[in-house]
Amino acid sequence: MPYQKQTIMKIKQTIAVIGATGNMGSAISKSLSKGNYKLLLCANEQDKVQTLVQQIKLQNSSADVEAVDCSTEASWEADIIILALPYEAEKEVAEKIREMANQKIVISIANPLNSSYNGLVTAADTSAAEELQKLLPNSKVIKAFNTTFAADFTTPVIDGKQVDAFVAGNDEDALQTVSELVTTAGFNPIVAGNLSVSRTLESMQLLLIQLGIKYNYNWLAGWKILHH
Amino acid sequence: MYDLFFSKFNEKVSLTSEEEATIKAYLTPKKLRKKQYLLQEGDPCKHIAFVSKGVLREYSVDENGNEHIFQFAPEGWTISDLYSFLTGEAASYNIDAIEDAELVLISKSANEELLKVSPKYETYTRLQLTGAYLAMQKRITSLISLPLDERYTNFISLYPEIVQRVPQHMIASFMGLKPETLSRVRKKIAANK
Repeated sequence: MPYQKQTIMKIKQTIAVIGATGNMGSAISKSLSKGNYKLLLCANEQDKVQTLVQQIKLQNSSADVEAVDCSTEASWEADIIILALPYEAEKEVAEKIREMANQKIVISIANPLNSSYNGLVTAADTSAAEELQKLLPNSKVIKAFNTTFAADFTTPVIDGKQVDAFVAGNDEDALQTVSELVTTAGFNPIVAGNLSVSRTLESMQLLLIQLGIKYNYNWLAGWKILHH
Repeated sequence: MYDLFFSKFNEKVSLTSEEEATIKAYLTPKKLRKKQYLLQEGDPCKHIAFVSKGVLREYSVDENGNEHIFQFAPEGWTISDLYSFLTGEAASYNIDAIEDAELVLISKSANEELLKVSPKYETYTRLQLTGAYLAMQKRITSLISLPLDERYTNFISLYPEIVQRVPQHMIASFMGLKPETLSRVRKKIAANK
């Protein structure tokens, strides 16, 4: 199913980024602040969130971004929720936001790597995204931004090629909406399939991390499908 | 969060707690800040909004930039651009919050699913639409046939608390009047009391 660019909506969608001060969270927040979005940034350390908000506004004075100290409150206000958290932290946050995330898009970026980076902690018949969907049964969980490193957000074109970013999920509208986010972030969105395709996407990133360590890609690497 | 929604629902169709849980799974809780849009003209209307807290308004903007308010929605009211919601075509109205608001949204897909899985939701929807149609009929009759002071009195009885909560120029816009005209009508009513 190819991603089709739709007419851009006038309305500003509200995105809550939970775990905004981590490597991925801040990279995602900075890049999405360029788009027509209102960003609500959440993290445990308030001073770090405030610093990030200042940084974003310094780079782009028209950015609509603010710190919100409660993930439940931010999720209530949000149309889209990004969990920029490690896999281990998702369960606790999912409990907090479950009610507010009802029927909303929740983006899972996590790769469930083990501590030595040589395997995944999830069983072969599931994925971080599918586990999150079980925790948030009435939300539209979408896998995205798990195959892109934080550094790729500042350099989404590597060696002259725009990095592909894979998106997986079970809801057509949600896949479209998230593909638009991916485009705003500067990547080429590819809808890979339903949520169970996350197993492959998470394994792909395990491979890329292992190769990155072996061949010293310096965390600036990505996937690109070559086709005619 | 859903208390007012279900108490209004139960006034029309009474639900068991299981039926309530089934419906709840399809609802989207949403907070909106004062002046924030729920819908902008030109976008498709993707939700029906029930107001749990705050006041929303629905309006069009003419070529001179004047706002024409079609509906206010305080607590317990429902608001949407129904034509756009049903057809998927671009909305002709804007909807925004006059006060900070808490909403219960029903998306197009949730609405379609609910109509399939819950006969009581279908009944509720029918009653809602009938009510909206009757209200619209009243509003049109009032606009085309009643004297201004009576229209204003009707407005106050329809939206008793709105008068205190929204600026006068918005009430004038809802009634299709210039603010000066509304002010004259209010003086006249006050003098006759």
